[in-house]
Amino acid sequence: MGIYRKTIAPDSMTASPAILVENLHKTFRLQHRKSASIKYAILNFYRKNPVEKREALKGVSFKVEHGETVALVGKNGSGKSTLLSLMAHVYKPTSGIIQLNGKIATLLELGAGFHPDLTGVENVELYGAILGLTIKQIHQKFDSIVKFAFDTPDLAEKIDTPLRNYSEGMKMRLGFSLAVHTDPDILLIDEVLAVGDEAFQQKCYRKIEEFQNVGKTIVFVAHYSHIIRQVASRVIWMHNGLIRLDGPLEPTLEAYLKASDDPNYHSNSS
Amino acid sequence: MSKELAELWRFRGLLWQLVRRDLKVRYKNSRLGFLWSIAPPLMQVAVITFAFRHATNFAAKFPSYSAFVLVAMIPWTYFQTAVQDSCQSILMMYTVIKKVYLPREIIPLSSTISNFIHFLLSWLVFVLYWYIFRRGPILWTVLWFPYLVIVQFMLVTGVGLFVACLNVFYEDIKYIVTIVMSLLLFVLPIMYVPEQVVYTSHIGGRYHPIFIWFYMNNPITALITGFRKTLLQPPSPAAVGGPSLPLNVGSLLFAGLISFGILIASYAYFNKRKWEFIERP
Repeated sequence: MGIYRKTIAPDSMTASPAILVENLHKTFRLQHRKSASIKYAILNFYRKNPVEKREALKGVSFKVEHGETVALVGKNGSGKSTLLSLMAHVYKPTSGIIQLNGKIATLLELGAGFHPDLTGVENVELYGAILGLTIKQIHQKFDSIVKFAFDTPDLAEKIDTPLRNYSEGMKMRLGFSLAVHTDPDILLIDEVLAVGDEAFQQKCYRKIEEFQNVGKTIVFVAHYSHIIRQVASRVIWMHNGLIRLDGPLEPTLEAYLKASDDPNYHSNSS
Repeated sequence: MSKELAELWRFRGLLWQLVRRDLKVRYKNSRLGFLWSIAPPLMQVAVITFAFRHATNFAAKFPSYSAFVLVAMIPWTYFQTAVQDSCQSILMMYTVIKKVYLPREIIPLSSTISNFIHFLLSWLVFVLYWYIFRRGPILWTVLWFPYLVIVQFMLVTGVGLFVACLNVFYEDIKYIVTIVMSLLLFVLPIMYVPEQVVYTSHIGGRYHPIFIWFYMNNPITALITGFRKTLLQPPSPAAVGGPSLPLNVGSLLFAGLISFGILIASYAYFNKRKWEFIERP
């Protein structure tokens, strides 16, 4: 079993990098279901379906210093989302070390898995609690969270109605607003920066810039090169569970884009 | 386990939020709210009382048959709904735990805790019932009440954690739990008292003594009869078929021990498997 470590002590933050990943492996087990028929299932209920092991990460090592903004790129199935999930402590590593120094926030669209009958207010309270805020802190920041998410009064009015009345974009906006209001040291974002209208996207970028200016760390998975160019300072290119290339924004992104234009790379995602 | 408990304590704010959510969501779109969690057991008690008074010859001999059923129905309803709710709970939060970290035991725990609050409120209804119908004196054994309530919480949480965990891997568990619950309503001494089983067990000589011992001393029977014997005066020998057995303190302490054991074992099992939830093959 690998090791996941998390420190929130400020003194350790100056000494150690924001994220330290050492020889990280992650193996999933996949089960192949041979037949979906009821007859097959009844006659073969004792028979185990074959289980295949799939290595999503095959030994990844890197460091992210405080204040860096890292974009993870790579085609589908290259392991970038697995890597981000490991940082969010959703999975346990199979082997290797992953260490995060600082308070983490994961961007999540509001309402994901929660009850659609809960209002926006209740969702903010619940998701705020998941991100580690106390109810008091949530209430203190509440107005600011809503104001950031919904700039027009007709949207803000909806905050005490059930979430089923919200559009996907509105849930996303509220989720983003809440995540940045938890004042994290490390922000993890998985392919969601591309939602919302143009104006809201610009607002997100400004917020991210603000984060960068005060030395916060951001790791995000993205498929759109214009987003990466606007935000990232460094690119990690994942390929088949390994790091293909890791370096400053332009040369690394160029190399990745060039490779994905190559039909031999089988790119279908960028 | 101490590390897990410390982590759980760190997330107590979230646990409370989830409990609040459960309590709010359950009757969100209903007008009568909490009444819906006490109405079904009350209606069940009314119907069972009607049926048993007319179809059997023992129910009418009880000082108050409906009180006996109600006192059993309240802990039974808690056991049933809390175990069924926690059984489904993790799959309902699946999209959340796939994306963000939280100690997973919080999810079934919030089910058992929110049902526990309903359970406590249900006892208020019993107090009201008692007050309206004046069913006899308050016994000093009511002092056992907090103990019984805590033991039942441990039992329910233990069983809840276990089925919640298993149901992630085998969704058959959900169906098994539903069936077992509907059978237990008849197997357990809810509509009758366990003495009746003891006094008629010689008929045909069907039951092994170990079965009788288990029937009398398993934690659910112990709790149901514990609530009855500490809150109600015993029924007459004519109603039960023999003298009513005294409050069995040993059986209550044993139930506490077993429930605690089940809770610890389930929690350990849950912790062992909780990281497999979102990567089941």
